[in-house]
Amino acid sequence: MRENFGRAVLLRLISSLLILFFLITFLFFLLRISPGGPEQKFISPQLKPELMQKVRESFNLDKPVIVQYSAFLVNLIKGDFGVSYNYRKPVIDVIMDYLPFTLCFALIAVIVQLVFGFLLSFISIRKINSGTDRFISKFTLLLFSIPTFVAGVFLIYVFSEKIGVLPSSGLKSINHSEMNFAGQILDYIIHLVLPVITLCIGGIAVYYRYLRDNLEEIYNKPFVLHLRASGVSEKEITLKHVIPNALNPLITVTGIDLGLLLSGALITEVIFGLPGMGRLTVTAIFTRDYPLVVGCSFIAGVFIIVTNLAADILKAKIDKRLIKGISG
Amino acid sequence: MKVKHFYILIFLSSMFFFSSCQKSSNTSDFIVIGIAQDVESINPLFAFSVDEGSICDLLYLGMIQHGWDDEKGEITSQPLLAREWTWSRDTSSVTINLRDDVKWTDGVKLTAEDVVYSFDIFSDPVVNSKFSGSFQKFYTDSSEHIIADKSFEMLTPYKLKINFRPHTHPNVFNIDIPILPKHIFEKIQRKDVPTADINFKPVSNGPYKLAGWDKNQSITLIADPGSFLYHKGIIGKIMFRIIPDYNSRLTQLKKGEIDLTELIKPEDAPSLKNSENIVIVPVKGREYEYAGWNNIDPENFNKQHKFIPNKFFGSAKVRQALSYAINKKEILEEYLHNYGQLSVGPVSPIFTKAVNPDLQPYPYNPDKARQLLNEAGWKDTDNDGILEKNRTEFSFDLYIPGGNPLRNYSATVIKNNLKNIGISVNIQTMELNTFLDNLFSKKFDAWIASWYIAIPIDLKMMWYSDFKNTPLNFQSYSNAQVDSILDNIEKSPREKELYQLYKQFQQILHNEEPVTFLYWIDDITAHNKRITKIDINPLGVIHHCWNWELKD
Repeated sequence: MRENFGRAVLLRLISSLLILFFLITFLFFLLRISPGGPEQKFISPQLKPELMQKVRESFNLDKPVIVQYSAFLVNLIKGDFGVSYNYRKPVIDVIMDYLPFTLCFALIAVIVQLVFGFLLSFISIRKINSGTDRFISKFTLLLFSIPTFVAGVFLIYVFSEKIGVLPSSGLKSINHSEMNFAGQILDYIIHLVLPVITLCIGGIAVYYRYLRDNLEEIYNKPFVLHLRASGVSEKEITLKHVIPNALNPLITVTGIDLGLLLSGALITEVIFGLPGMGRLTVTAIFTRDYPLVVGCSFIAGVFIIVTNLAADILKAKIDKRLIKGISG
Repeated sequence: MKVKHFYILIFLSSMFFFSSCQKSSNTSDFIVIGIAQDVESINPLFAFSVDEGSICDLLYLGMIQHGWDDEKGEITSQPLLAREWTWSRDTSSVTINLRDDVKWTDGVKLTAEDVVYSFDIFSDPVVNSKFSGSFQKFYTDSSEHIIADKSFEMLTPYKLKINFRPHTHPNVFNIDIPILPKHIFEKIQRKDVPTADINFKPVSNGPYKLAGWDKNQSITLIADPGSFLYHKGIIGKIMFRIIPDYNSRLTQLKKGEIDLTELIKPEDAPSLKNSENIVIVPVKGREYEYAGWNNIDPENFNKQHKFIPNKFFGSAKVRQALSYAINKKEILEEYLHNYGQLSVGPVSPIFTKAVNPDLQPYPYNPDKARQLLNEAGWKDTDNDGILEKNRTEFSFDLYIPGGNPLRNYSATVIKNNLKNIGISVNIQTMELNTFLDNLFSKKFDAWIASWYIAIPIDLKMMWYSDFKNTPLNFQSYSNAQVDSILDNIEKSPREKELYQLYKQFQQILHNEEPVTFLYWIDDITAHNKRITKIDINPLGVIHHCWNWELKD
């Protein structure tokens, strides 16, 4: 069983590497055939037009695409994504400026979504089809249908502009450096309250819906009836039998969700001025910073693959029949 | 129940605690400036954007500082790192006496060697600096790299002479570059300069030095007590806070969390005006919007490189008709709330001496437009409401870049106005980079765009007929007389003659109306009233902010 598991993971890793290779190759060519170029940001009345051509040459963009691609592959083997045109730093260094925040933000968001999704679904499931259950269902549907930017702007209006208790933008206060360690942690937390709420309200509804429906389905299974008839306590039925069986689909959703969040939460990052991967990627796309676009896409691809793999492994740990599915 | 109340109380008190943590910027020696995006470089060699330029200007001084004379509508020049400068009689050389009390932030003294080195590195083609290609008046090699031995004579450590190529008519702008520390940069290979560490840890000579750069969050500068520009009232700390969302910037300005922000939308100006603590400063703009008409046929140009007049816009009469047909005033009043003024040509009204006062914008006059189109042979022969000529209907695509509400509004007004005189317009929105790509390859018949006029005025890059060397002549305008005027302007004639040439240029352009000039847009800045001695002019907002002071 253990050998099978290791082999499945290895096969999945090989296929993932191939997917990543095709992803960045496809992106490499797509970026170069798409209109525009990185030199366009040098259009200015204060700059000489010939500077644009010189900049193109300095980025080796005047060379045939296949020559650029072979140089790119050689560098990639050495783990070098090149130098960002915008930031004039190695792509990996630029990404490392933004990645820590994105990791924290995504993890916090997923935890909040899971916790509140669980809580609401348990409240619902305690009295299925009761008034509370129907209210929570309708309320979460309403939350799900609110676009992120509307929620963000509304929360800023209420909590920043009107009540004035939470900051509207940024990750820290202007006097952050003067605070002690505990103060700095609190400062980060206070700045993340509105962004986390904005990002999570849709997710909580999704998690709630998945979990509530699964729990309902499991509770209605004959084996639960059998356990009840055998005198097993309701608490034990829920914790030992219902929840483990209801978790599988949720793990898949969490894997996908976490992967996407780690790639960046663009709208939330822009509204709240947060330094995340989403903003970095979109700015790189708009300014045609080719090496940075490829680097960000690679990292996003890695996250999506890794989180999905982790979800599959976790599912297989719970249900051994699923080991075969890991190899993809 | 009591426990619940306890938790609610804890929650509310923590909220108040948190809110008290958010200090507003209202401290006596500290201001916060809101900007939309982070800068990419604080090395003046690569300070391409406006914000990068503003921050670099505070870190790296040049020999000369420029001001703006509103009455004369021209730039004034005063000494900065230079104590004085003297031009030779034939302006072929200038002798500069430098201040001897300027130190880099690492304590090393600034000397004439730094000046020579700065010109050398700025002109080095390997570096591709922002002034690349701008040193033709110096002695340069074939790659336009300055030949230092020929161009500079170091007379003492604080005195140097700059020699220019004969008959090139240099002026103060040719010697105005930020000065870089030779002792730091000479340790770095030129090819490595763009990615060197110095780009993030500057050794500077300005009134402010870098205190911190929190990526995509803020850049903090602190006043340098060792600078000769330091004075008792100088603002001790300036933070540039990155706030990408425009509405968040406004909210923070109103709440006093930031003290200044630029690029205020005209529709927000009235509400800001009513705020107790905020001052609105509109400055006559250097940016004009225009409806571009390709004077040549794009298909023939791109396929066979032939210059054949455009079937719609090749005739000056038609272009004039279009300018008569467009109600520019409506856009100015309705969308820009009169924060701008109608445009006659590409010379901004801020240049009071250069602008031609005899010219008036084409008034909104659909009847005159119809008459001119009729004279040009465009008639509605089949009574379908659209004009025709040689079996071609007057119908074209008008391209605008996406994400710009002003252009959407202008395009809709133009479409309706032109429909009124029998011209069919299809508005096409395009992603900005794709839009620019098509402009450069002259693929459009018509578009709406804007352009900034450089200070000092540079018209050649957009109106000269050598399309290969002036790729920004998107409208493919070609006129030998205009070329000759632009060549003469480059020879730096005497002031009176120079302004005469500008006026002639505008007259010709007005007669031929190669594009429809729409309006100049005011730059609106809003700042907290506690900032005093602030001088906002067409050169910028933040420059010279070492002169700003704060009310007690």
